Amino acid sequence: MKLAGLKSIENAHDESVWAVTWVPATDARPALLLTGSLDETVKLWRPDELVLEGTNTGHCLGVVSVAAHPSGVIAASASLDSFVRVFDVDTNATIATLEAPPSEVWQMRFDPKGTILAVAGGGSASVKLWDTATWQLLATLAVPRPEGSRPSDRSGSGKFVLSVAWSPDGRRLACGSMDGTISIFDVARAKFLHHLEGHFMPVRSLVYSPIDERVLFSASDDAHVHMYDAEGKTLVGAMSGHASWVLSLDVSPDGAALATGSSDRTVRLWDLNMRAAVQTMSNHTDQVWGVAFRPPGGTGVRAGRLVSVSDDKSISLYDYSGR
Amino acid sequence: MKNTEDEDRLRELQEAIYSDPDNYSHHYNLVRLAFQTGLFLWEKGEDTKELKEKAVEHFVISAKLNPNNSHTFQFLGHYYSRVSVDSQRASKCYQRALTLNPNDSESGEALCDLLDNEGKESLEIVVCKEASEKSPRAFWAFRRLGYLQVHQKKWSEAVQSLQHAIRGYPTCADLWEALGLAYQRLGMFTAAIKSYGRAIELENSRVFALIESGNILLTLGSFRKGVEQFRQALETSPCNIAAHYGLASGLLGLSKECVNSGAFSWGASLLEEASDIVKKSTFLAGNITCIWKLCGDIQLTYAKCLPWVDEGQKLGTNEEAFRTSIFSWKRKCHLTAIAASHSYQRALHLAPWQPNIYIDIAISVDLIYSLEERSRPESDVWQLPEKMSLGGLLLEGDNDDFWVSLGCLSDNNALKQHALVRGLQLDVSLAVAWAYLGKLYRKQGEKQLARQAFDHARSIDPSLALPWAGMSVDTHSRGCTPEEAFESCLRAVQILPLAEFQIGLGKLAFDSGQLVSSQVFAAIQQAVQHAPHCPEAHNLNGLICEARSDYESAISAYKLAQCAISTLAISAPKSHFYDVSINLARSLCQAGNALDAAQECEFLKKEGMLDSRVLQIYAISLWKLRKNDLALSVSRNLAASIPTMERTSGVVSISLICKLLYHISGQVSAITSIMKMPKELLQSSKISFIVSAINALDHSKRLESLIPSTRHVLKSYEEITGMHSLIAISKLVRHGSEESLVIQSGVNHLRKALHMYPDSSLIRNQLGHLLLSSKEWKDIHIATRCSIINPPDCPAVRGSKSGYGILGAAAVACYASSTTDQRFSFHTCKDQCMDGARALQKMQRWLHQEPWNHNARYLLLLNVLQKARKERFPWHLCITLKRLVLSALFNEEQYLKKDASHIYQKFQILLCASEISLQSGDHIDCINHATNASKLLVPDGNLFFAHLLLCRAYALQGDFPNMHKEYLKCLQLKTNHEIGWICLKLIESRHKLQIDVNKIELNFEESLKENRSSWDKWMAIFNLLQGQSSIWGHDYISAEEALAHACSLAGAESCLFLCHGAICMELARQQCGSQFLSLAVGSLTKAQEASIIPLPIVSTLLAQAEASLGSRAKWEKNLRLEWFSWPPETRPAEVYFQMHVLARQADSISDSSYVESFQSSQKWLLRAIHLNPSCLRYWRVLQKWTG
Repeated sequence: MKLAGLKSIENAHDESVWAVTWVPATDARPALLLTGSLDETVKLWRPDELVLEGTNTGHCLGVVSVAAHPSGVIAASASLDSFVRVFDVDTNATIATLEAPPSEVWQMRFDPKGTILAVAGGGSASVKLWDTATWQLLATLAVPRPEGSRPSDRSGSGKFVLSVAWSPDGRRLACGSMDGTISIFDVARAKFLHHLEGHFMPVRSLVYSPIDERVLFSASDDAHVHMYDAEGKTLVGAMSGHASWVLSLDVSPDGAALATGSSDRTVRLWDLNMRAAVQTMSNHTDQVWGVAFRPPGGTGVRAGRLVSVSDDKSISLYDYSGR
Repeated sequence: MKNTEDEDRLRELQEAIYSDPDNYSHHYNLVRLAFQTGLFLWEKGEDTKELKEKAVEHFVISAKLNPNNSHTFQFLGHYYSRVSVDSQRASKCYQRALTLNPNDSESGEALCDLLDNEGKESLEIVVCKEASEKSPRAFWAFRRLGYLQVHQKKWSEAVQSLQHAIRGYPTCADLWEALGLAYQRLGMFTAAIKSYGRAIELENSRVFALIESGNILLTLGSFRKGVEQFRQALETSPCNIAAHYGLASGLLGLSKECVNSGAFSWGASLLEEASDIVKKSTFLAGNITCIWKLCGDIQLTYAKCLPWVDEGQKLGTNEEAFRTSIFSWKRKCHLTAIAASHSYQRALHLAPWQPNIYIDIAISVDLIYSLEERSRPESDVWQLPEKMSLGGLLLEGDNDDFWVSLGCLSDNNALKQHALVRGLQLDVSLAVAWAYLGKLYRKQGEKQLARQAFDHARSIDPSLALPWAGMSVDTHSRGCTPEEAFESCLRAVQILPLAEFQIGLGKLAFDSGQLVSSQVFAAIQQAVQHAPHCPEAHNLNGLICEARSDYESAISAYKLAQCAISTLAISAPKSHFYDVSINLARSLCQAGNALDAAQECEFLKKEGMLDSRVLQIYAISLWKLRKNDLALSVSRNLAASIPTMERTSGVVSISLICKLLYHISGQVSAITSIMKMPKELLQSSKISFIVSAINALDHSKRLESLIPSTRHVLKSYEEITGMHSLIAISKLVRHGSEESLVIQSGVNHLRKALHMYPDSSLIRNQLGHLLLSSKEWKDIHIATRCSIINPPDCPAVRGSKSGYGILGAAAVACYASSTTDQRFSFHTCKDQCMDGARALQKMQRWLHQEPWNHNARYLLLLNVLQKARKERFPWHLCITLKRLVLSALFNEEQYLKKDASHIYQKFQILLCASEISLQSGDHIDCINHATNASKLLVPDGNLFFAHLLLCRAYALQGDFPNMHKEYLKCLQLKTNHEIGWICLKLIESRHKLQIDVNKIELNFEESLKENRSSWDKWMAIFNLLQGQSSIWGHDYISAEEALAHACSLAGAESCLFLCHGAICMELARQQCGSQFLSLAVGSLTKAQEASIIPLPIVSTLLAQAEASLGSRAKWEKNLRLEWFSWPPETRPAEVYFQMHVLARQADSISDSSYVESFQSSQKWLLRAIHLNPSCLRYWRVLQKWTG
């Protein structure tokens, strides 16, 4: 397996690019790239030439998270002031705006079926689930507080929720917190199941393996990538090699490779069978905030694509080839 | 080689062992050597292992033989730990070694290393403690213990161990560093800095010590020293992030100090440097939150403090340039604020759980909004700053500062109040919250509550600016004076230089009349830098510059204010613009730019804004432009509006109209219009002065009737004395003719006035000045007594004479060389003139006080010349004078305007230079200076003296043709100074230049005509001169006649009598008749009586005369008088000889009460010879005496 640089755009945004996601292909168009930046804009790019399709404004502070609906029709972007904008990808028409108290919107993910938007609730120590049909709050999955902590002490508990991930079947939801714990919820019953231990610094990114529903990957500021059996509460494996915080990770659609972006300004590709880094891309000149594999689907697109975005204001597109 | 040596020794030892197997020392030595060689060899190969094992055997034997040798166990320990890796045995051996000798650092360290490797930290501590308890000299143990305690964060115990260890290892930088850290953690910052400093002294590359001491210094607030530490750390370790961070935050702290003291540009430049440094460190480590927060802090501070600079481009004249300048400044601030917000957002993105960053973002966003001048809609929607501060509060709800921030950032009054009250609930002594609450209440109009809140805040924290500023507003409702308000506001400005406060201070200063205060000036200058878009700041700046008489700056400030109104503050009412225009016109007029001032007034006229202020300025500027008709018509308009004015401005207008009328249409029309004015309007001191002045010039005295009614309004001391001065001048003018003034009448009036106001410096100095101007002999001395010198801090009234000037002039003007130092002369002037030396000191003091004052320099020069003249031009004074002349001439050429008085001064200086050259024998220089002087444009009467000097110089040179030419020139020019003719006469008679017999006499008498009062004196001097010239011609009879005439004219002049007496004695000697002897006695007796101090020679001559007439007693008496008339050090030999003669007489009488009997006659004679050994007469007497 191997990554090969395809295209890189310097100064894609005026400021650091913090968030990236692929908008799945629709009948009308191929998959697109959605990026969010500190310059308060969200931009839409058409691969492989990375042509700018559109620029969405409307946020008052930096955009920290973008998420795309599996259908590829709608997407959501969230900024630091906890303002979520849901919009039509093609027309940029606002579908809904979700407001939360500040500090209570962080990473967002649509569930695989596209009926629920999960939002990592930051300081509220919970994950908020929004119905994508009515845009009403469905449920709040609260991370249980450690024994003995006062409910008013919001930061002291360390349960500041940063990241969220859906299992491929949509039954489980994982969220990562600032103190390094990962919480697993049963979505159907809206019930907390258990914690996954192992990290001791903030968990900034989580992703389930697309081929194995029990396997959860996590990236943390402690510079390690963990691989958990999410049901069995066990740490299956750990991958080390980054020199600094691991900020984001994504699993390739074939489930064989993992890509990570880090504060050490590199993107690494890990072979999951060997559990080792096979390639290190150091084309970025500042920390890499987001990596994303293109989801499968779309007409006539077979080749794998990986994108990475960074504080150096650039977007890089790679060709990913499996074995 | 070494090995072979060792082997030899080894063999020797082995032999020794064989011979004496029970001596342990042989074993020990052998093994030790073998071991050392072995260790050395062991590292190369395995082949010596056998040797080692053998060695161990020997060691074991030696240990058994002498179990108290710790070295044996140490070596065994080394063997077990390094060769046969058996840590168990090794540690036992080491422990044994330590029990035997706790000071053994090698074993101790080895044991501890072993334990450390096995992770047995507590055992390690036990070992160290044991050793340290056993021996106070076990410094290794203390050191190890200290490090371990530091590691375990047992700071106070660590301090003790480390202090002890340092006694053993005083140059170990590690120990000092560890001690520093321990102190730092205990909060003993000064001790920590000292310890770190010692570590740095020992090794200047101690980055940790440098950084930590830098951090402590920053905590203690000494940013400058801290910055130094961090810079030094960066030299050693250029990529150290902590050092970068510390340096940047140190610079931030420093710049905040600068900004708080008002030095904005300095602060901004420091911030630029800090920003560069922090950007470098974000590149080194992009994921550290605190660096991004620091970056944001630096940018935010920069955006707040960046000053607007008017780069001297005359922006006031060009609205477009002004607008661009303001916009580019604003844009820079705006961009920096946005960058700050971005930096904070990065920090938040890295650590979203840190509540304070939410507040930071809120503050930066608020700044951005205020720079964008975004109008915030009054709606229920949360504004971004509010929302972000809520983010901080959600995470940390019990932080009172966050509540205050919300209170400040919110727009909603209810929310504001709620937030501030919550903050106070958390901490009731939160001064900031009270202050903002006060501000909020004030805005809502609840003044009582506002006052209470401000008072609370002020009593909790008096170093907070806002409550002081809050106290200075609404002064009327508080019942405090404008001065108190000004003081409060000044304090606020000094605590925090905020543009709003500064503008407020400017307004209060205007109200309380403190516009000239330097604090206000500085504050408004800063306000202009920070609020250049605010017309008020520029206008106040203009007013302040105007109050400081800096009209050019005021004009440009007003123009900037106009630009600011017309380009930026569109919403400002039109009246503001007019007010600024009036200010501008006034400043223009005062700066002498009448044309622009008139244009400004015309503009206002077009806009229909002609009120009395504008009319006054308009009239003055038109008059200055010589548009007299227009000026008159404007002043008619002004006159028409007088009845509607309030009193003070009415008075001002009337006096202005009077002045204009006088200057334009002349005295008569001014008088007629004053006559026409309603009487009640004239009841003002200003007008009283004008009326009096005009009346003084008017011979027909039409205003006489008005004067009493206007004068009775004069109340204050200054006004009344001023009026007396004016009356004195008017008397001078009134009683005099066209050319001459009657000084005496003025003097008389001022003398009377002085009785009523004895301490008025105005009257005194004017009197002195008038007395100096009169040509009376005695008046000069009175002048010095009546004038007073103002203390330097009390400014002289404009137009009045300086006491120093009068003093200096009087000292020069006294003809009598009135020195009390009898080495040089015997003064005969009867008036108690001021001592010359004291005048000289006063002049020097004056020049020292006002080094720019040419007049002071000039008078000092003349006084020094006077002194030099008295002392017959000694060398050192001539040098001083030359220097003074050089600097005076330089100043004249550099700065002075070419008016008559300055040319006259230059003339005098040149003459002075010429005189010094003449006296020091440099004739060429003398002639050059005098020739230069003779080319100046001065009246003939003065020019006379230049030629007189030339005449003297040529005479000394022996250049008679030129001398004759100059003499003729003098005769042609003429002068009305008597002394000039006398000098000329002197030269004439000396060099026999006489052409026309009586020409000089005629001229002299002509010049005397003006001055009847001192006619006698001058004539006496002239006669003296004639007598002198007769003596030169050996015509003693006519000399006697002339001198007798002189004596009869000047009855009190002892010198004249002396001369007359001497001549008579000479005539008597020549046997011209005995009547001369009695004449001589008469004159000399008069001379004795008239002189205030006993004149020398008089008595000797008198004694001779009396002796010739046969009176022995009078002869003796006069000789004794002669002895006393000489100062002791200047007595000539002859006086001693006379004493000898007297003593010889007295020997027979033996009366011891006389001076001659104090010593024997022989002694007197010997002293005379001692003083003048060349006089043969004395020797002969001595011969006779001894023989």
